[in-house]
Amino acid sequence: MEQETRKKRLPILPGIIHEATSPGDKSYLIGSRCSACGRTFFPKRSVCRVCMRDDTMEETALSTRGKIDTFTVVHVAPIGFTAPYIQAFVDLPEGPRIFSLITGCEPSQDALEEGAEVELIIDKITEDEKGNDLIGYKFRPVGKGSRSKNEEKS
Amino acid sequence: MREVVVLGVGMHPFGRFLDKSLRDLAKVAIWDALKDANVPAKDVQVAYLGNSVGGLITGQEGIRAQTILGPCGFSGIPMVNVENACASASTAFRGVWLEIASGLCDVGLAVGVEKMFLEDRARTISALISVSQLELSKLGMQFAGEAAMRCKRYMRKYGGTKEDLALVAVKNSYNGSLNPYAYHRKAYTLEDVLSSSLIAEPLHLYMTSSIADGAAAAVLCSKDIAKRYTSKPLVTVAACVLKSGRYMDSDPLDTDVQSTITFTANEAYEQAGMEPKDIDVAEVHDAMSPIELVSCEDLGFCKKGEGIRFLKEGRTKITGDIPINTSGGLCARGHPIGATGIAQVAEIVWQLRGEAGPRQVANPKVGMCEDSGGVVEGDNAAFTNIILKR
Repeated sequence: MEQETRKKRLPILPGIIHEATSPGDKSYLIGSRCSACGRTFFPKRSVCRVCMRDDTMEETALSTRGKIDTFTVVHVAPIGFTAPYIQAFVDLPEGPRIFSLITGCEPSQDALEEGAEVELIIDKITEDEKGNDLIGYKFRPVGKGSRSKNEEKS
Repeated sequence: MREVVVLGVGMHPFGRFLDKSLRDLAKVAIWDALKDANVPAKDVQVAYLGNSVGGLITGQEGIRAQTILGPCGFSGIPMVNVENACASASTAFRGVWLEIASGLCDVGLAVGVEKMFLEDRARTISALISVSQLELSKLGMQFAGEAAMRCKRYMRKYGGTKEDLALVAVKNSYNGSLNPYAYHRKAYTLEDVLSSSLIAEPLHLYMTSSIADGAAAAVLCSKDIAKRYTSKPLVTVAACVLKSGRYMDSDPLDTDVQSTITFTANEAYEQAGMEPKDIDVAEVHDAMSPIELVSCEDLGFCKKGEGIRFLKEGRTKITGDIPINTSGGLCARGHPIGATGIAQVAEIVWQLRGEAGPRQVANPKVGMCEDSGGVVEGDNAAFTNIILKR
């Protein structure tokens, strides 16, 4: 019985994260780089939409640090989320501007700045209808150090 | 390609109608459009029906056009189901335009209809979320928040305050107060807008479009036979363009990348042989009202970064030289997703014919409908631009 009701840890989306499994390993987001034009995309894909070729894409590990492009504090949450929370676009050094929730700081306008350096963490995003944890990625301000209560080891 | 005219338009008022079905809403819009066009229903040779979330709301998938249009009296003719987020109706309009312009048909019906209010509010919300890319929603994207971030980027680049952004809602709520088809018919003050609940900084409730039930329809025909039906001023389709988002890595506000609204409009201007200065009145897709400022710039009505000044000078008011969203736009008229595109067309047709009552713009000859819908990675999903001329 105990076994059956235990919450599982499931990926929120397939193929977006490499999650560290051993102490020497590091978690990262999986992107694709086009060997013809040099552009990097996230999530990974098999066709470069700039070159429109399907034979040039290579899987690549994206940097785990980026900078806040812009962010907002969401006060009306979608189902499965609890307001207030911060959502942002994060610019990665390889080029992609990616959507992410921000954790590790107060959900207020003053707690974060555009251009602030943020780092990747693997974290619970929400739960499915059975109560299983759905695991994805978030970013948190670098140097703030405070770990979110939901954060798993990364 | 043959010239195509919009012979007639009709709407079911936008609002909250718990006791009305998609069919009930569509029937009113369709038959009002037929009467306005003076076209017997039997003359309609083709129908395209735009609807975005009816599958999730009602459970009816696949054949909503047939199940809605059948009880409205139509059978046997080609019916096409169109689903293209907030641009569903304008995409349906384009389908009918293309059928007639190509010479395949002479008379056609374009319908947009949406039912969003249910007793089951959770279902409405999940339907609403469904027009954003699933992956983004799963990761926690709240799409008003996405627009909020666009507003912040705009202010970062061009300056302006939250009060400036709120002035769009003040203007459009006034316009909506004059529109009998609008859901919200109250003119808000700046204080009203800024004291409405905060959705995502800098967006407050009255700056966001609201879910609604509603329908809009247009009867189109080949220009060469139009005089058989009507003695009203003919409104010709000068351009009709559909594009998809370009999934940009960087925001056009940060770079010299052309926005997809501009990309779509430029083709429409070329098709019509016109320039931005030729447009006398426009309906733009202000799903969040401050986005109207960016759209004004992207459509070429003012220079980049001048949207706020343009608004403050009153240029976009009903009495201005390029009135924008005389209907009230999406925030005041309401936004039944799959009906909005043809509601824009209806407003422009009324304006061009001088039938817009207290919202009437002084003698417009050319009007534009700009529609963009759905959120995908890096862009909106569907874009349309329709130019109509008298």
